[in-house]
Amino acid sequence: MSEEKKGFDTKEVTRRQFLKISGVSLAGLVLSTPLLTLMGCTQKQVDEGEVMVWAMPQGLLVVNASRCVGCQRCELNCSLSNDGAASTFISRVKIQRKLNLDGAGNGLLSENPWLYFPDTCRQCEDPACGKVCPQQAIYADETTGVRKVDQEKCIGCGACVQACPWHMPTVNPETKKSSKCIACGACVAGCPSGALSIVDWDAVTSAAQDAYKDL
Amino acid sequence: MAETFGWAGKLLRVDLSTGSITTEDSAKYQEYIGGMGMAYRIMYDEAPMDLDPYDEKALVIFGVGPLTGSGVPCSGRMNITFRSTWSKGHSIVDAHMGGHIGPQLKYAGYDGIVVTGISAKPVYLKIEDDKVSLEDASAVWGKGTFESNAWLIEQTGREFEAASIGPAGENLMDYSTLNTSFGNAGGAGVGAALGNKKLKGIVIRGTGTVKVADPKKVLELSSYMMGNLIGGNNNHNVPALPQSWAEFSAVSGKNRWSGAPGRVWGHTPDGEEIDAGEQPYNDINKIAYRCLKGVFDFGEVASNYIIKSGGCQSCPIRCYTQYEIDPLAEYDLPIHNSNTCMPVLYGNYAYPGVELKDFKYEGDAKMVINLAWSHAVDDMGLWDNYGNINRDLKWFLSLPREEAVGYIGEEEYDSLPWDWMHDGDPRWEVEIIRRLAMGEGKLSVIAKGTLAMMEAFGLPKEWLDRADGTNSNLMYCGFPNHHGPAEAWQTGMLYNMFYNRDCMIHEIVCETGSGAPYEVTKKVMEDFFGEGCYDKSKAYTPINENKVKLAIYCAADKNFHDSSTLCNWMWPMTQSPSKERDYHGDLDLQADFMTAVTGKTYTQDDLQEFGKKILHMLRVMTAISFKLNCDSANLRTEHDAITGWVFDKEPDFKPFEEGTTKLDREDMKKAMDMMYTELGWDVETGIPTAETLKAYGLEDMAKDLADRGII
Repeated sequence: MSEEKKGFDTKEVTRRQFLKISGVSLAGLVLSTPLLTLMGCTQKQVDEGEVMVWAMPQGLLVVNASRCVGCQRCELNCSLSNDGAASTFISRVKIQRKLNLDGAGNGLLSENPWLYFPDTCRQCEDPACGKVCPQQAIYADETTGVRKVDQEKCIGCGACVQACPWHMPTVNPETKKSSKCIACGACVAGCPSGALSIVDWDAVTSAAQDAYKDL
Repeated sequence: MAETFGWAGKLLRVDLSTGSITTEDSAKYQEYIGGMGMAYRIMYDEAPMDLDPYDEKALVIFGVGPLTGSGVPCSGRMNITFRSTWSKGHSIVDAHMGGHIGPQLKYAGYDGIVVTGISAKPVYLKIEDDKVSLEDASAVWGKGTFESNAWLIEQTGREFEAASIGPAGENLMDYSTLNTSFGNAGGAGVGAALGNKKLKGIVIRGTGTVKVADPKKVLELSSYMMGNLIGGNNNHNVPALPQSWAEFSAVSGKNRWSGAPGRVWGHTPDGEEIDAGEQPYNDINKIAYRCLKGVFDFGEVASNYIIKSGGCQSCPIRCYTQYEIDPLAEYDLPIHNSNTCMPVLYGNYAYPGVELKDFKYEGDAKMVINLAWSHAVDDMGLWDNYGNINRDLKWFLSLPREEAVGYIGEEEYDSLPWDWMHDGDPRWEVEIIRRLAMGEGKLSVIAKGTLAMMEAFGLPKEWLDRADGTNSNLMYCGFPNHHGPAEAWQTGMLYNMFYNRDCMIHEIVCETGSGAPYEVTKKVMEDFFGEGCYDKSKAYTPINENKVKLAIYCAADKNFHDSSTLCNWMWPMTQSPSKERDYHGDLDLQADFMTAVTGKTYTQDDLQEFGKKILHMLRVMTAISFKLNCDSANLRTEHDAITGWVFDKEPDFKPFEEGTTKLDREDMKKAMDMMYTELGWDVETGIPTAETLKAYGLEDMAKDLADRGII
């Protein structure tokens, strides 16, 4: 992160910096102490690939796999808040698919059973889901920039699901409409272990600036 | 099918003999809530107790309820109803499992699965929404549950949840389980019930939803519960150790809210400890650190092996500590272990008289041994019968050689690797578990049940009366005490009498073990349940009406939990960690959730009536079974008779003296009279009267009992 420190002078710039690494492990990056404190993790956890970040409008969404306890309350709070029904499949934050066998050697029934954590939309700057949508139903919210699915336009074809490298949008089999994370924060608010947390941009920017001043 | 909230609306029926798979509308079972209640109605209607438990027409009924998977905290459970092959009377029993599979059944669109028939070859049931099929399971027949569940998910897909039986169930060992997730299992012999059917496992993926009538209300109630009412594991409502926000900590310094500053998940992959820290009662984002079950079970040494905590779907209390026990690698045993309760508590009973040696850290001997036990029993799908398997094994292994060979013969006795036992080698227990699960040798009768062992070894009925520390049987039915008189006076004795297995009732032990000062909890309990209902530990008082009513409340409440489905270790919300609430919980919350989820209006009184109805159905089927299999339908004398040690232990004390939990014979006779009367059961026989059954809409059962000459 040292090369990028000079860029953290406004929260919008900070968010754009983080968008570039949204949804990927932070392994390989050296984070400043103030930033680590804000994110509630350690440099070792970062080095081991246990921590991922997502750039959301309201702040940096931090996923700390070491703290995830697999209760799926994130999925339940997401689906109840956004869809008015409880589900794992249509939840916009996803852990069911990683819980038992994640396809990469982790999960309760794997050789590495205690590694599981939720995953969600990266809010890509150049979203594959939006580009492939034949209805142009996926748009960026004017104020937040969050990618949303226009439920009126969506025909439930599933092209977005296939196009997304992480298959994050989901076509609800009951409504035949696609949905995806709208960065509402319900998953974070209800996470009982703090494995999911949001650090607001002002704080991230401030921490990054403090680190820069310390040099 | 009309739109329904809470309930999925369909029941899946699978006939393993014919391969037939059908569905039916489940609406008619809503008056039994679901889960246990629904299954009891189906069992009574379709598979009378006259059937042998292993008959082709015998049923195994998987049941979930309106709250399962609905997002209500601690609602991830599934009830499985079938016939006991090991407890007296061979009547109706339930297995209860957590994990994540119950909710998936709901999301796939089903309130239950009714399984009948016997397959010609090993199969598994694959459910993917409305695509349901029976698939060949030959590849994993004979395999352990961990490998089987992984295989099932590899065959089907990453989003599936799996459950499978192990060799114990396949070999029809009566103490057998169905295992899911990691360490989550239903017991009571369900493994053998499914093994008899050649059904190795179930794998489920649901892409649907549980529709809730008022999602905003469900979220609001969840936040209210998690920010005001919920405590630690078993809903213990004060932290074990002092925390700056808390007025109280556990009087004894120990309870299941064991997370505390300085107590850590100390074996994380990156080597960075995660400190449990303080967990203020109103901080939702720290709840998962309250239950540090490993430290509760084994002391501070456990932290050296703890990676994190897990548990069931929707529950913020993580009671399954997840370990990496690296010393076990030296014995070629699995190092990743997790369970809660029985499988991690008594593995050391397989080493009687042996001073176990530490493995890596000072004081870790017992935990390493016990966690080796837990993985082995879970893999083999071997049930413990709430510790009876450990206690019966300990009794046998403590016998002098000359006596033991009388039971199993010299050849078998000498084939046991005794050096491993004396060395404290974990391979000893794993070998014993293997023999029990495989039905190998005469010793394996221990896994056929306490009663089967007594018969095989020629032990008299009085063997169950002894007070030598290896006996926990409260009655003569083959199952042990479950939070009975030692923790809940006469009330605990009474609620242990209802079922055909250990009662699995936690309504009282969650309070007596909560850690709060006695007077604080007493006030909560008396405000809810009346004066005199709540005795002080080892200072019991004679029976009174409120203690009797409390026993019935506990059973009815548990029946509702296994029907709706909610976790009975956490629910109901009796106490609260909040000083502002004067530590009072909210007993109405479960009814409020029922209303918000289903859109029908429920009160706590309604839920009690549902629970009592199930209690009456249970009693009817138990009476019929006892008439058929024990030549007597007098349940008071045949089922509810109390073993001697309950009254005769601690001979230096008289009942009701301070310092003992022993009960008094005359007082318990009175207590039983009062309980039967309160329930509307015949005082002489302990069987529901026709009037009582009719009052609960069970006229058909009243007629059946009359036709059979039981009432």
